[in-house]
Parts: sequence; structure tokens; C-alpha cells
Amino acid sequence: MSFEADVRRSGGSVDGQTPSTPTQTGFQITGWARIGFFVRALCSKPASALGFVIFVLFLILAIIGPFIAPYGVNEQIVSDAGQPPSAKHWFGTDNLGRDVFSRIVLGAREILSLAGFGTIIAVLFGTTIGLATGYIGGWFDEILMRIFDGLLAMPLLLLALLLLGTLGPSKNSVLLVIIIVYTPIVSRVVRSVVLSVRQRGFIEAARLRGENLPYILFREILPSVLPALAVEAALRFSYAIFLVASLGFLGVGVQPPSPDWGLMVREARNNVNQMPWAMYYPAAAIAVIVIGVNLLADGIKRVLLETK
Amino acid sequence: MQTKNILKAIFTLVILSTFLLQACGGQPATPEPTQPPAPAPTQPAAEPAQPGQPVSTEPPAPAGGERKGVLRVATQPLVQVDPATISSDPEVFAANHIYDYLVDVTPQNTIAPRLAKSWTVSEDGLVYTFQLEEGVTFHDGSPFTAKDVIWTFDRLRNPDSGYPTADLYANIDSIEASGDLEVTFKLKQSNPFFLFDLSDNHALILKENTADPTQFNGTGPFKVVEYSPEDRLVLQANEAYFVEGQPMLEGVEILFFADQTAMVDALRGGQVDLVMALSTDLYSSLKSESGITLLDAPTNQFDVVRLRSDRAPGNDPRVMQALKLGLDREAIYQLVMAGFGRIGRDSPIGPMYSAYYSEETPLPARDVEAAKKLLAEAGYPNGLKIDLHTPDTGDRPELAVVLKNQWAEIGVDVNVMVEPESVYYGDDGWLAVDLGITGWGSRPYPQFYLDVMLKCNAKWNESHFCDAEFDQLATTAGTTLDEAERVAAYKAIQKLLIERGPIIVPYFYTQLAAIRSTFQGFVLKSFSGRSDLRPVSFVE
Repeated sequence: MSFEADVRRSGGSVDGQTPSTPTQTGFQITGWARIGFFVRALCSKPASALGFVIFVLFLILAIIGPFIAPYGVNEQIVSDAGQPPSAKHWFGTDNLGRDVFSRIVLGAREILSLAGFGTIIAVLFGTTIGLATGYIGGWFDEILMRIFDGLLAMPLLLLALLLLGTLGPSKNSVLLVIIIVYTPIVSRVVRSVVLSVRQRGFIEAARLRGENLPYILFREILPSVLPALAVEAALRFSYAIFLVASLGFLGVGVQPPSPDWGLMVREARNNVNQMPWAMYYPAAAIAVIVIGVNLLADGIKRVLLETK
Repeated sequence: MQTKNILKAIFTLVILSTFLLQACGGQPATPEPTQPPAPAPTQPAAEPAQPGQPVSTEPPAPAGGERKGVLRVATQPLVQVDPATISSDPEVFAANHIYDYLVDVTPQNTIAPRLAKSWTVSEDGLVYTFQLEEGVTFHDGSPFTAKDVIWTFDRLRNPDSGYPTADLYANIDSIEASGDLEVTFKLKQSNPFFLFDLSDNHALILKENTADPTQFNGTGPFKVVEYSPEDRLVLQANEAYFVEGQPMLEGVEILFFADQTAMVDALRGGQVDLVMALSTDLYSSLKSESGITLLDAPTNQFDVVRLRSDRAPGNDPRVMQALKLGLDREAIYQLVMAGFGRIGRDSPIGPMYSAYYSEETPLPARDVEAAKKLLAEAGYPNGLKIDLHTPDTGDRPELAVVLKNQWAEIGVDVNVMVEPESVYYGDDGWLAVDLGITGWGSRPYPQFYLDVMLKCNAKWNESHFCDAEFDQLATTAGTTLDEAERVAAYKAIQKLLIERGPIIVPYFYTQLAAIRSTFQGFVLKSFSGRSDLRPVSFVE
């Protein structure tokens, strides 16, 4: 058993990219402390700190939104339709008399959960496929990768529109589109890392030991892939937010009267001369969170490189 | 490095937005109140490529010396230019000034002479004889005769042509020339609205045996000088026009814009003089603008919310009654129409048809409890879950959202499905769905809606409504030559539809337009494409 642990540790250090291997017992720092360390490293640069703060703020908003939103998501106050921002309605109301602030707050959960779930599932699928194709190689790899090349050759938004055209617009379709669009990208990234480690000694050792395929893929190779994967996942997440908002804006994504920010921009666009606030606030919300998550992704990348 | 890049990006953004703000903020100062309708040199920036501009801005001096001013109209681009296939407002608007109708519809919805100066109708209402104007010529110089009328209508009513008018004119038995300038139409059945049918948007008179109907050879008040698709259509006054003193303008330029906001900006900036079919938002934004006259006209354009009545849940009339009781009509009108137009009464016969419109039968007021009770009686004690399909155009998605909210209170859980028009109308999907919102255009008389939308075997009977009494009344109204009988039938129809109709008509639209105040005499029509520039004049 000690031999096995040794091999694995040396594997991690030879590869050099992994700050820690989650499965190892040899590390002293516990999970929470590691997160604390990571966050501190992240916040050492103002840009990453800003990204982190923005992301956490929106995350909190998504969790406690229903408790702080002053009005219901589709609550229509006919007499207040089209009001400019005021003490009563912080971000004003739209032409249907709905409170824009409440809708943005409540929309945070919608967009973060949709983009988040989509990204997580795409990363899971992408990682599995990337590990398998990279390690197994041969015809299996060829066929899958050519299919993915075909998918990636199409502009992402076009592919998304095509899929939604067939699936019909709904929340589940948007989720499916995120998964289908991002799985190939993630798997390409994972595969490229796998290709560089699969000839290493510790893999060969595991194979000689007679370990089965899932063990080799997830216990031996995965740790080397994690840093690249973390950065990729964060980036995918920010693009997924953008994709959800874009599809909402194009009217093929989440359906009204959901408080999706892209959809809010679309709906308010017709009345932008009369009530610009109904369009500018959700548009700003999209911009802020996309920038925030991007900065965060950059920060994660930097920290991982530094710890190397 | 990262931070530096971001700071750079933010800095660039700030600079850019400052420029934008300046560009926007500077604009109100530029438009001069007395913007003459031409001098190209004054707006070189707005229209960089303009091969047609010099031609139209300095046309040869008109013979009479009275015609002056070029009116620039902003519209969507034309797709069809053959009069037989035109349909959109701008297509009809352009054609209406290049060609002439036999008879025209006035802004008050009455019939007026145009190429036909007078007509007689036989006792039984089956024979119409028209006397045509003398001395009319086509733009190519050839004279206008009865043969041109016959050729035009034979083309439009040819059942093999696939033209939308083939159905409309199926009731014509024969068209004959009873003289060089006299045409006789014989009908199979009497049709009290035949003159309105003759003024259908497509019924523009072409030269006999025209090989290519897209070449703009009409008798109309303006001749085509230049047409560049997706850019502009340049028209010049027809000096030989048969109406004394018309047109009063020297020329008309129809400039194509893809976006209505851009049209209104061009109006503000002095690059165009007339914009029609405005959204309420853009119309309201022009209220404070000086030198611009705002116009509106009542229409019979409406959105209809209809429930299929031939299968569950709509086959139980109590469901539709409950949906109607769940409506707060005033709130819908204020929220969706922003106080423009009129509140509807669940029938396609709107207030624009003053003689036929009736407010005798009261609409039920909102009653949530009664609605719930009706739903329970119909077998839905725990409410109802249903998809509401709507095209993504106009105010229909907003209507859907308001309906969802109001119906939630009576226990109806609506799932809104916003679809592109091509999907909603494609493959006749709109005729299949249970609950849907459909937009219907304005027509000069109401019989059309009853015939194609509500009669038992109507072509577009989207609610699958079939009611013997209704059919009887609609047939009477559509064939009787006794006006009083028709009025009575229409009243009975409105009562019947309020009581057991499968449709909700929440509102009627208003047609909105804005024109530069230096142009006078423009009267907006319900269908903006039929608005007439002949009597419009330019005043300095």
C-alpha cells in the first residue's frame, strides 16, 4: 500500500501542476483551511478580489433573494406602471407595473442555477469523455473527437439556436443546450492534458498493478487534470451566464414571465424611450456578473500557477 | 498584468461612452424647425451613399409651377412590388401612389370614386356598371380603357393564379366592357360589400397584357424615378395625372429602414418627414418635439385570445366563461395598450364600424369567485393547467404575461409559450393549439372576420367554433341588401359572442403616425398603407 501512495505522490509532483491531490492522506491541511488559503491567495490581487466579491454577492442574492425582494416576481401594480426609480421602486417599474429591482434580485437565482447546473453537468460529462478518449485513444478517440470537431466548427450561438429550434423554448431546453454546447469544449481541454500524462510512469505502474479503467481514469489521471479543469469550469460558467442571457434576449430561451435578465432586456427594449431604467438595470446586472465571474476565473488561474 | 488590462478596458469604455453621450446630447440642437424637405447638402452625414438623391432633390421645374416639396417617408423595405402579391403597409403605400384603384376607401370608411367616376347597381344587387375617367394615361403614355380593368381583375380572380384575391373575387360571374370607358361586373350572389372588395389592397389597375407587373407602369399620381431595393424608392409627380391640381407635391421619397427606432431618430434629425405605424412608446417620445405633428386613427386591428371549443377543456362553455370572468379588462388596456386604442368587447366588430358596433349587451365584470365556481362545475375544482401560445410580435407577449397573472387568481395556471411568427403560423400550428393569441388586421368592413374566423367551416376558424344560430346570423348579415336587417344581425352576433363566443377581444389598436408640420393635408387611415399623399402640400 505504501508503494501505491508513493507512486501517486510522485506522480503528482512529477506532473507538477497539482497543488494537492484530494485523495491523499499525506497532506496536513484540511479542506476548509485549504479553501481559506485559496481565497486569501485569490484576494491578494484587486481584480481577482473584485471578481470574487461580485460572484459571492450574486450568490447570496440568489440564495436569499425571496427574503429581500420588496415585491413579487410577477406582481403587477397597475397604478405604478412605468415609474422611474424612486424610494418605493429602487430600479423603477416596467410597462406592466412590475418592480425591476425585485425582478433582478429574483432573477439571480434563475440565471445562476441554470448556468451553474448546466456548467456542472457539462464539466462532468466533458471530463469523463475527455479522460476516456485521451487515455484509450485509437478509433474510439478518433470518432468522438471528429464528432466534437463538427460541433465546435459551428458558432456557439448558432448551434444553440439550432438546438432550441428543434427542442422548443423552455428552461430544460436551455439546460440541455448548455450541456451539449459545452461538453465538447471541456472534453477537448481535459483530453489535451491527459495526452501529456498518459505515458508517465505512474500510469504505467497502475496498469501493471492491474487497476481497472475507472480507477486509472479518476484516481490516477484526474488529479493532474484538475487545475486546468478548474479554470475551464469557471470560464464555462461565465459564458453559460452569457449564453442564458443571450438566448433570453433572442426570445428563444426561458419564457416570459420569468425574470430572466436577458428576457427583461428584450421586453423593455420596446419602451426604452419611455422607461430606459427597465432595460438598463438588467443589462447592467448581466454585464457585472459576467465580468465578475471572468475576473474570478482569471484569479483562479493565477493562484493555481502561483502555487506551482 | 490582469489589472492593467482591465483598467485599460474600462478606460476605453468610459471614453467611448462619453463620445456616445455627446453624440446623443448634441442632437436636439441640430434639427431646425423649418427643415425643408430636400437640400441634400445639409445632411451629408446621415445618408452617405445616395445615388438617387440629386435626381429627386432638384427635379425639372413642374409645368404648372405650383407643385413643390419632396416628402420623405420612412418605411420598412418592400419585399413584393407586384400589386397582386403585395401585403405589408409599405408595399401597399408605395403601390397606392404609383397605381390607382377603381374605387377607393375614405378615412371615414366610405367608398369614393377613383378611376371609376360613377357607378350604378341593379335592383337585385347583382350587376355593377362603372363609368371610367376620361383622358387617363399610364406612365408609359398609353391610354387607360375598360380593357385594362378587365385584364386586371381577370388576373386577380384567376383561381389557378394562387393570388390571395382569387377567393375574394370568386363570386364574380363575369366582367365585360360595355363601352370603351364602361365596365360591367356581374355577380353570382348579391354582396353588399362588393365595392369594398373592389377597393381591396391588391386591386390596382395595371395596363392590359402587362408582361412584367413589377415594372411600375401605373396611372397613379407619382412615377417611379429610381428603385433600389432595401435602400429607397424615388417618386416624381405625374404631370399628366387625371385629377386636377393633384398631386400637390413635387415628389416622394420612400426611404427604407429596418428598425422603427431608427426611423424616428431620422424624423427627429430631419432626414425624413413622415413615419407611420408607430409603436405607442415611440409615438409618446415624440410628444415634446417641435415642428412635428402627431396623428392617430382608430382601427379595427385587434388581438384575439381564443380557446378551441371542439375539445377539452374548451368544449365546456363554462371554461371560457370563467376565463372571461377572470379578466380585468381595464388593467389589460392600461398595461398593454398604455391607454391607446379602445377596450374590446369580445367580438371582432369594433367601434370603428360605428353603424354596426353595439354596446347594448353589458360585459360581465370581474368576479374571481364566480369564475372559480364555473371551473369547478366544469370539472376543474383544483384549477386548470394550460399552455398559452403567442407570436413574439407586437404587444402579444405582454398580453400573455398579464393574462397569466390575472388567470392565476381564478386557479388557471398558464404556461406562456412565445414563438416566432413563422413557428406560430407555420404548418397551421395556430389552428391546432388550444389556447392562443392571434393578431388580426384592420378591414374596412366586419363581415370578413365572421366569414373566415368564426363560421362553422371558415378557413381560419382557429377556435373551431360551430354554432348554427351564429352561422345563420352571419349569412344574413353578409347577403341581405336591407341595411336595417344587417345592423340587427350584427347586434345579435355581438350579443351571442359575449354570451357564448370562444374568443376574447381585449382591445383595438390605434394607428399612430408623425409628420413634419411643414406638410399639410395628410389624413392617416386605419390601414396606414392606404393613406393618401395626393392632397398633401408643402408649406414653408
